[in-house]
Amino acid sequence: MSGATRSPLSIVVHLSVLLLVALWTLPTAGLLISSLRDKDQLAVSGWWTALSTSTQNLVYRAPSPETQVERDGKFVVAGNVMEGQQAEVSAFGFNSREPAAFQPGETVQMNDGERLTVQADGTFEIVSDTRMEGTRGQRIFFTAAIPPRFTLDNYREVLRAEGIGQSFINSLTVAIPSTIIPILVAAFCAYALAWMRFPGRAILIAVVVGLLVVPLQMSLIPLLKLYNGVGAFLGVPAKTYVGIWLAHMGFGLPLAIYLLRNYMAGLPKEIMESARVDGASDFDIFVKIILPLSFPALASFAIFQFLWTWNDLLVAIVFLGTGNDELVLTGRLVNLLGSRGGNWEILTASAFITIIVPLIVFFALQRYLVRGLLAGSVKGG
Amino acid sequence: MRKTLLTTAALVALFAGSAGAADLKFKPGEDSRFNWSSFEEFKAGHDLKGQTLTIFGPWRGEDEALFRSVFAYFTEATGVEVKYSSSENYEQQIVIDTQAGSPPDVAILPQPGLIADLASKGYLTPLGDETKTWLMENYAAGQSWVDLSTYKDKDGNAHLFAFPYKIDVKSLVWYVPENFEDAGYEVPKTMEDLKALTEQIVADGGTPWCIGLGSGGATGWPATDWVEDLMLRTQTPETYDKWVTNAIPFTDPAVTGAIDEFGWFAKNDKFVAGGAAAVASTDFRDSPKGLFSSPPKCYLHHQASFIPSFFPEGTVVGQDADFFYMPPYASKSDLGNPVLGAGTLAMITKDTPAARAFFDFLKTPIAHEVWMAQSSFLTPFKSANQEAYANAPMKKQGEILLNSTTFRFDGSDLMPGKIGAGAFWTGMVDFVGGKSSADVADGIQKAWDAIK
Repeated sequence: MSGATRSPLSIVVHLSVLLLVALWTLPTAGLLISSLRDKDQLAVSGWWTALSTSTQNLVYRAPSPETQVERDGKFVVAGNVMEGQQAEVSAFGFNSREPAAFQPGETVQMNDGERLTVQADGTFEIVSDTRMEGTRGQRIFFTAAIPPRFTLDNYREVLRAEGIGQSFINSLTVAIPSTIIPILVAAFCAYALAWMRFPGRAILIAVVVGLLVVPLQMSLIPLLKLYNGVGAFLGVPAKTYVGIWLAHMGFGLPLAIYLLRNYMAGLPKEIMESARVDGASDFDIFVKIILPLSFPALASFAIFQFLWTWNDLLVAIVFLGTGNDELVLTGRLVNLLGSRGGNWEILTASAFITIIVPLIVFFALQRYLVRGLLAGSVKGG
Repeated sequence: MRKTLLTTAALVALFAGSAGAADLKFKPGEDSRFNWSSFEEFKAGHDLKGQTLTIFGPWRGEDEALFRSVFAYFTEATGVEVKYSSSENYEQQIVIDTQAGSPPDVAILPQPGLIADLASKGYLTPLGDETKTWLMENYAAGQSWVDLSTYKDKDGNAHLFAFPYKIDVKSLVWYVPENFEDAGYEVPKTMEDLKALTEQIVADGGTPWCIGLGSGGATGWPATDWVEDLMLRTQTPETYDKWVTNAIPFTDPAVTGAIDEFGWFAKNDKFVAGGAAAVASTDFRDSPKGLFSSPPKCYLHHQASFIPSFFPEGTVVGQDADFFYMPPYASKSDLGNPVLGAGTLAMITKDTPAARAFFDFLKTPIAHEVWMAQSSFLTPFKSANQEAYANAPMKKQGEILLNSTTFRFDGSDLMPGKIGAGAFWTGMVDFVGGKSSADVADGIQKAWDAIK
């Protein structure tokens, strides 16, 4: 295929691809921006408002009257409504009903005889002829153009949370063996189902495919009952890592076998036959020919299985428990959200923290995936 | 940072079970607000060194740190190592664990409907008559707590299975006192006044209410609180009890009347921030933030005592924001001051000496006072020192609870799960979406008939 001439259609294709990519990545971009925003702002405005300078109506509470100083016989409370930020005040007020009643620089009389001045740079002064009373400071309403502001606080909060390191290790301890074990078992099984002749093979394949439709949730209670029984019989705890590895293996196997069998069955028959003529046993054929050829399928299943076990919460809390020592990363992050799940900012930051490991796995295996696909494209080898 | 410290402190207390009193939030014997003699007495009566106790509860995040600070005293007194755990899906988790035969020792749950289910399947251990008498004598409105905690077991015999611990008051209306001052509004004393205030705010060009029903899969529940509150203010407690057990149908005029009362507030575009269409889509955690915006998006917000957790950072309850008791109708003064609440109940799922000791611990004032002195904890326990409440608003809520003439538990939690955590929620979303109360009630009643 030569790319010398481009038909108008290919431009349309490119444009629609671009559009789809933008649509797909937009939510992630929004999440990333949200994760860098201040949590109070996150609750009241959308992430797209965070990108540009926006005019906001804000409320500042002046220091309490206890901080007043006496100057020329008058009592003064002073400060800056911006609290260290750079922005320009365009209007201010002292009453919640008229938050933008006055222009910066004006001096206004408040209800109780105190006088308020707010300058454009945010500095303010409350002056009174008599000593001010009370413990709460005056509310100052102001309108200002606030430039975008980003913070790493959300990430800091998640990473500093108690037990997050332990949970990270727990998650890896669950996910890595739960990925490797089913692949090992499924590869053997798939070879047998694809290339070894024995009675009942077709029925076995049908059963495996049938198992694909069993919802995992259905088997939680019976399986845990079984574990409790076995645990009591052997005198070991029922909720262990071995238990969850086996559970994940069981839940992952039908799909793994099905995928790998279909892939292996598609490999050229001639290779297997010539190997057999040369005196190779089934085991030799499996290890020396099938396994290297099936690498793309193995890699893609590994990605699937790793993602699923890494992101899993349900199986982990059922078979591993919810205690502090055994909680997986997903469980820990959900608990960080609080009893009523209101801590949004944590959700956004933790999403990006958990995404790191699956990304590493994906890019590491991606290489094999591409190489394997290319190797398969040369026919007649 | 402070939160990290708190959590660390709580964890240290957890792991160093046998370590000294230095791990405790308040040093025994030091603060006179606390009933330390009850602690010493409990300590002398229980020595279970080396045992462990697993507790499964609904509290996570900050609440978990608070609960850990409470059971640190239990560990200190008895030497029992407590393993607390929770999960987002605790309702499902407890069902899976009890059915599969690996329950925790003690479970703490906020849904009486779920507890009734667990009790009827025989997964709970009765707490005995002694605890029943104790609740009668020591909790304000003791009989209503005993009724709430009594469920039928596998054979249909009623026993006391649960122990109410940590109560939330729901009949509260939140407002910003300074906004009221600026506009010259008064806190209403009767429902008629509240309605007049609502109309007054609209006449002044403001928006009175922030109502948000959004809550992910539980969207709609804040509206059920509204309806229950209005039900208690328009009907007798007996009618309320009949309603939650479906002895009177949902379509009864008493019920649709309460739903329509809620509609008076929520279905008027001028009364709610963002208009009636925004009610169902606004998240309940975000809706109170409208009280604090400039200019205020709304002046009033009906929500339970937990809501200050979702106020903007730095808000001081009692000064920046305050609440008043959702007033009763002057025209129905014979109904007194009803209070709607919710709470968590503890129960034994595996009978061990440590679990029994934990319930003895919950009967000491100190188990209540330690949490009272921190935040978000109310108790009807009369012997717990009211002075121990951390701040004036909590004390005020405690008083509302102690002074209530009628206390009723959140009706949607008492109804079967399919209704109270399903049809009722979605029905309320449909109601604010424009359906009539009769249609909605009819739909909920059909769902209820289907599970009978």
